[in-house]
Amino acid sequence: MLAATDLVIDIPERKSGTPLSFDVKAGEIWGILGPNGAGKTTLLHTLAGLKKPRAGSVNLNNHNIQDLRRKQVAQQLAVVFQNNGEGFPATVLETAMIGRHPFIAPWDIETADDLAIARQALQKLELSNLESRLVSTLSGGERQRLAIATALSQSPKLWLADEPSNHLDLKHQVQIMGLLAEQADTGCGVILCLHDLNLAAHWCDKILLLYPTGEARWGDANAMLTVPALERLYDQKLSMISSEGQTYFTPISSRT
Amino acid sequence: MGRSLTLVCTLLLGSVLISAQAHAKVCVTDDSGAQLCLPKTAQRIIALSPGATELVYAAGAGDKLVAAVSFSDYPDAAKKLPRVGSYNRFDQEAILALKPDLLIGWLSGNPREQLSQLQTLGMPIYYSELRSFEDVANSLERFGKLAGTTNTANTAAADFRYGIKKLRERYTKASEVSVFQQIWINPLMTVNNEHIISEATRICGGVNVFGDLPNLTARIDNEAVLAANPEAIIAGGMGEENHDWLKDWRRFSGLTAVRKDNLFFIPPSTLQRPTPRLLQGTTLLCQHLDTARGRR
Amino acid sequence: MAGAKSNNNTTSLPRFFTPLLVLFVFTLGTLTLAITTGSVHISNQELWQVLHGGGEPLHRTLVFELRLPRALSAFAAGGLLAVAGALMQVLLRNPLADPYVLGLSGGAAVGALLAMLSGLSAAAVSGSAFIGAMISAVTVFGLAHGTGSWTPTRLLLTGVVIASGWGAAITFMLAVSPSDQLPGMLYWLMGDLAYARSPWMALTVLAIISVVMLPLGRSLNVLARGQMQASALGVSVRPLEWTIYISASLLTAFAVTTAGSIGFVGLIVPHMLRLVLGNDQRLILPAAALAGGALLTLADTLARTLIAPEQLPAGVITALIGVPSFLYLLHRSR
Repeated sequence: MLAATDLVIDIPERKSGTPLSFDVKAGEIWGILGPNGAGKTTLLHTLAGLKKPRAGSVNLNNHNIQDLRRKQVAQQLAVVFQNNGEGFPATVLETAMIGRHPFIAPWDIETADDLAIARQALQKLELSNLESRLVSTLSGGERQRLAIATALSQSPKLWLADEPSNHLDLKHQVQIMGLLAEQADTGCGVILCLHDLNLAAHWCDKILLLYPTGEARWGDANAMLTVPALERLYDQKLSMISSEGQTYFTPISSRT
Repeated sequence: MGRSLTLVCTLLLGSVLISAQAHAKVCVTDDSGAQLCLPKTAQRIIALSPGATELVYAAGAGDKLVAAVSFSDYPDAAKKLPRVGSYNRFDQEAILALKPDLLIGWLSGNPREQLSQLQTLGMPIYYSELRSFEDVANSLERFGKLAGTTNTANTAAADFRYGIKKLRERYTKASEVSVFQQIWINPLMTVNNEHIISEATRICGGVNVFGDLPNLTARIDNEAVLAANPEAIIAGGMGEENHDWLKDWRRFSGLTAVRKDNLFFIPPSTLQRPTPRLLQGTTLLCQHLDTARGRR
Repeated sequence: MAGAKSNNNTTSLPRFFTPLLVLFVFTLGTLTLAITTGSVHISNQELWQVLHGGGEPLHRTLVFELRLPRALSAFAAGGLLAVAGALMQVLLRNPLADPYVLGLSGGAAVGALLAMLSGLSAAAVSGSAFIGAMISAVTVFGLAHGTGSWTPTRLLLTGVVIASGWGAAITFMLAVSPSDQLPGMLYWLMGDLAYARSPWMALTVLAIISVVMLPLGRSLNVLARGQMQASALGVSVRPLEWTIYISASLLTAFAVTTAGSIGFVGLIVPHMLRLVLGNDQRLILPAAALAGGALLTLADTLARTLIAPEQLPAGVITALIGVPSFLYLLHRSR
């Protein structure tokens, strides 16, 4: 679905890093891990076609994403941003409806179908009762869920989400990750930037490690998630625990 | 016989036509150089500046005025005239509703677009712009012609010319007095030699210390006045009685004009409006300058 | 409550239709008031006669030569400014933006004042104003473009600085101009419809741009969320922003050329509409054209009749009507 070929992302004032070549296939959940400033967000934006790479290319269904019209891309691919900034005042429902934009021709208006899709998305994210509320009155977690609902109304085949679990309480974290896994099960490709190692370990099939130097490694999750590799990534001592068939990583600090 | 009859008839017809023309049309040249012709003498006049109002009254046509702009306060009868706005923005509807047959516009003071709009709607406009004493006399004569009050108007013009001539003769040999003509206080403003006030000054044997400035009216600062050190300072004020501007100069005790107490007041409407009352203002100005000469 | 109306019938046209119909009726009302009101009283009967080709010549002149062109010019200028203001607010994602924030009115003023100082005709003054506005638009655009990517912040900053520059130039010209020219210059700066003549150019531009904006309305809604978000949702951000910028510049240039720099309308009308109608640009833009036009027509009618025969500048009345109205709406919307 989405393929990176010798991709070098463009971070100003940083030397070019490892060229990335990987394929995101239907049903796969990819996790991009790295410390702050490694360039996870830049990579995600480049994969979404929002930023030009320094070298190499990103291909969406075998077309160079830079050559496609934004509308075509948006019909396939949804992005969940890390910061959902202050726009003009809007209601929750209006915001969710925005996700239908790529499918409505300029001279058309939203149909009942579009409305239904948006409402369904809100329902899945348990936001239905907040339909008429102004976005500015929502909590951080509710806004995050709204961003995901908006992406859901886009009915994308590819999800690119930047720290989707931010601001969310435990229950909703699980709910979101479950939703994304469900999407993958129905044939979508999912790419996530995560800073929570354990979420990555639990939910991702493939991992891409992005080092602050620009170096990168990628592959199957169990191959990538090794203590030495992660310790080098985060510059932090870690210990790995197995429990009930699941692997967990915790940082080791001087107090333990 | 037949030919001479034809000739006589043609001549008769011709002279009838010509005299009909002569009675029908009244033509003058206005201050913009344009020719203005009315089908008959004006009976409903609107004056679009206070100065024009005064001139119309002086020309004997005051009873033909149907409206004026604000601040038309001389003569007293003018205060009762209906208003059509102010000189820099008038109410076109009010003007049209009064069905005037002559408008007296102020070329540099009235808004050009409103005048041109009125002209497009068929209003005859006399463009007035007075820069000299002779212009005042000419205007009186022209208004008299337009309004059919030539006797009064020509007499007024003649009196005016005579009065100015007498003043000129009287002061032609008088020794020069350097004068600062103040026309406003904040900002401090004066006039150059082209202004009618400077002509008045010259008639009285004075010389405008700022006469060579490029602009007709100019903003200057106190320093310029101190540097020029005029022998006399002439000012009007806010209103016909207010001497504050002159009092303000007393703090500069170094000025010749202050030391000799040559701070003279002239009611602004007699010197700053281009009307027959300029004669009064100029006479007063000449008297002041004589006083200054006496204090040397 | 903003958005409450959109709850159950987001998809149906009546949501757009009703408010626009109301505004349209209001507009007709203000235009009618403008034609029937003035220093000279024209009764409804007499107006009827005039509109049917008859009536007294004086009344015909008043209605067709004075009142109608002036009312249409006021409507055009008000509509142009309100739409330009709404577009600027979306482009800059800043509710404080108005059509003049990027220096357009300053450039126009400099052009107009220079023409006045040179003694040129009224048509030349209007033409200069227009050229001045466009020069300002191109300058700001070019400067903000800078290193290839301009953000709203950069555009705003550049615009504000250029506007200040124009302001200084205007002050300078006012300071050195001959004093008999001052009143004319000041009236232009205050915004005045006494001189407005042919409204057809302005009305045409308003109509054309409104039509151009129709299919773009929804994209504008998306753009209002942010450049990245909009791009991710399929909006071609850069071309859209250019379109908005050029449209807003043209709208403002024509408005200022028609009526001088009338303030307040471009800033407040979009806000007032948003408080009542929500944030859908597909509704706000046409509503702004109608509401802005009606407001200015009403204000101008008052300006020329309130203390007749003395005439007031229309911009003063717009503020007098608009400020309390806006505060009331703001209070009620809490």
